[in-house]
Amino acid sequence: MSLFSSLPLSAQGNYEIQVYGSDTVPPDSTMVELHSNFTAIGQRYEILGVYPTYHQEHETLEITQGINDWAEVGFYVFTSEQNGHGVQWVGDHIRPRVRVPTSWHWPIGVSLSTEIGYQRAVYSLDTWTWEIRPIVDKAIDRWYFAFNPALERTWHGPDVRQGLAFAPAAKVSYDFTKRISGGVEYYADYGAFAQFDSFHEQQQQFFAATDLNVSPKWEINFGVGIGVTGATDHLIVKGIIGRHFSWHKPSRVD
Amino acid sequence: MLTPCRAAASAAADYTVEIAPYSLEVSAHRLIRTVAYNSQVPGPLLRLQEGRPVTIDVVNRTSNPEVVHWHGLFLPSNIDGAMEEGTPAIAAGGSARYTFKPRPSGFRWYHTHTFAGHDFNKGQYTGQHGFLWIEPRENRGRYDAEVFLALHDWRGQLLASDDGSMNPSYDVSTINGRVLGFSEPLRVKVGQRLLLHLLNSSATECHWIAMAGHQFDVLALDGNPVPNPCRVPMLSLAPAERVSAIVEMNNPGVWILGEVRKHIRVAGMGVVVEYADRSGEPQWRQPEALSWDYARFGSTESSASGGGGITDIPLVFKSKFTGHGDMDHWTINGKSYPNTDTIDLRQGQRYRLLFENRSTEDHPLHLHRHIFELRRISGRDTHGIMKDTVRVNANTQVDVEFTADDPGLTLFHCHQQDHMDMGFMMLFRYV
Repeated sequence: MSLFSSLPLSAQGNYEIQVYGSDTVPPDSTMVELHSNFTAIGQRYEILGVYPTYHQEHETLEITQGINDWAEVGFYVFTSEQNGHGVQWVGDHIRPRVRVPTSWHWPIGVSLSTEIGYQRAVYSLDTWTWEIRPIVDKAIDRWYFAFNPALERTWHGPDVRQGLAFAPAAKVSYDFTKRISGGVEYYADYGAFAQFDSFHEQQQQFFAATDLNVSPKWEINFGVGIGVTGATDHLIVKGIIGRHFSWHKPSRVD
Repeated sequence: MLTPCRAAASAAADYTVEIAPYSLEVSAHRLIRTVAYNSQVPGPLLRLQEGRPVTIDVVNRTSNPEVVHWHGLFLPSNIDGAMEEGTPAIAAGGSARYTFKPRPSGFRWYHTHTFAGHDFNKGQYTGQHGFLWIEPRENRGRYDAEVFLALHDWRGQLLASDDGSMNPSYDVSTINGRVLGFSEPLRVKVGQRLLLHLLNSSATECHWIAMAGHQFDVLALDGNPVPNPCRVPMLSLAPAERVSAIVEMNNPGVWILGEVRKHIRVAGMGVVVEYADRSGEPQWRQPEALSWDYARFGSTESSASGGGGITDIPLVFKSKFTGHGDMDHWTINGKSYPNTDTIDLRQGQRYRLLFENRSTEDHPLHLHRHIFELRRISGRDTHGIMKDTVRVNANTQVDVEFTADDPGLTLFHCHQQDHMDMGFMMLFRYV
């Protein structure tokens, strides 16, 4: 989840609301995802020149290219649509990721991603940010568990002096059927790792979310989230639709 | 004497099979901890004479109960080697003696028949398999050299699959326990007729095998001569299936006999075939597609048994989703073992089993203690192909016929270890 700033005075940027699983995109293939997030109840006022989040519609294009069996790189284009501001480009990120190969036979899935990018100051005072995100996950019978204890760092903006911030995300879901899973996703930003913000100033969000497993080619996720602190947008509706493209015609003799 | 008993020290057995932990060196310094017969993979080739009594001692030096199934033989239920039929398990540290008259003749095999579940170091995932050759009273076929080859997959783990559940996936694939390039080459001479006996002992994987520069003249399937021997570019074997084929060595060079699919050959499934006085890098010619059709080996002539008096037994196979984090469970006519219905048979009656695979996975179906005739494959009639294991591809139907001529509890199951462990078994009972 890209939270461009954790300062309570800054707007919250919900552009990609997703708990990562450990799998990477296979080589010779590309995953194209569209993240659509609408802030139904959010910040109503412009603060320090940052647009309010209230009724912002964010469309994020994510393109992830598989490199080999254990590495991928993702690219993001963030956009925002809002009354009075129209459709605007917000910023871009790049996200390389590596995973523990399956041949290592680890009992859990583990990968590590890092994300670097720019966003315009009217959407986040912290314009250049960096994130490192360990990812662990495990599927047990009908249950799926994922945990992303991410660390964030601002390179340009008010939070430069803050140092590393702790922004964990987690997901628990249950397979109701082969095609329908549902569960809870948790997103947070506790503030500086050295000294967490007070609870009121932290970002704390809980989403009820569902995944539709209609085909290995498609990824579909939908959720409704509430923010439970003053620094969090209070109601967000999110959706993800993704399509997997293979550039290598599958052959049965491969 | 057809019942197992404690191995008697006084009388020597014809063969002794010792089940024990073993470190298999699949390639240089790469060891796989497994369980094997007589400290070798595959286990020793047991050459038996059709109808001549043989005594085999089995000693279990593992810490788990074990049992040995004599696959493809007509044996009483209590020694056939399936606990579901009533064969007693051999306790950890225990032993058993089996005495029987081996029949029918042909290429059979022996292997463990225990539950593995999620433990890929048990059951058929281990090295517990070996060749059984039952010499016919009259030897068929003309060949110059004979080679037994076992295809196996190792170091399994559960990985997510495209069909929504988890399936075993393997790091290493071998022929006779060695990866390509590590085993001794098969050394041949120009003009030889090489008789290959291939066994797929893999717990779960179907395999396609080709020999670069050569073709196979298929003589027998599952040890039973086919009515229409013919030449094919590749062989396909589902788990537990066997193929016996002649290869005419008429293309001098150094070649690879191996899995057609690249990723499995890269994982090691291959062996070098080297002509005398030839050297150099082994050559491989990649086929462009997988091909295999049982019906090629069948007869178009209707057999005498094709008339009336046959009782149909419909068997429908389906998967039951249990989560993206687990293997599917399996049902036969809506029920999973041990809750599957036991079907009563009348001795002497001929039955037609109507296999309907309503799942997205192929199933190698095995009937214990009997041999069946393939009669209909995906809508096409065939005759005369006798087998004990048949692959029913995803969402297809296969009909087979057999005569109930061997009274006793008879197990029927999918030979994929994960499928049988997850309910794909049932029993026939003679009344």
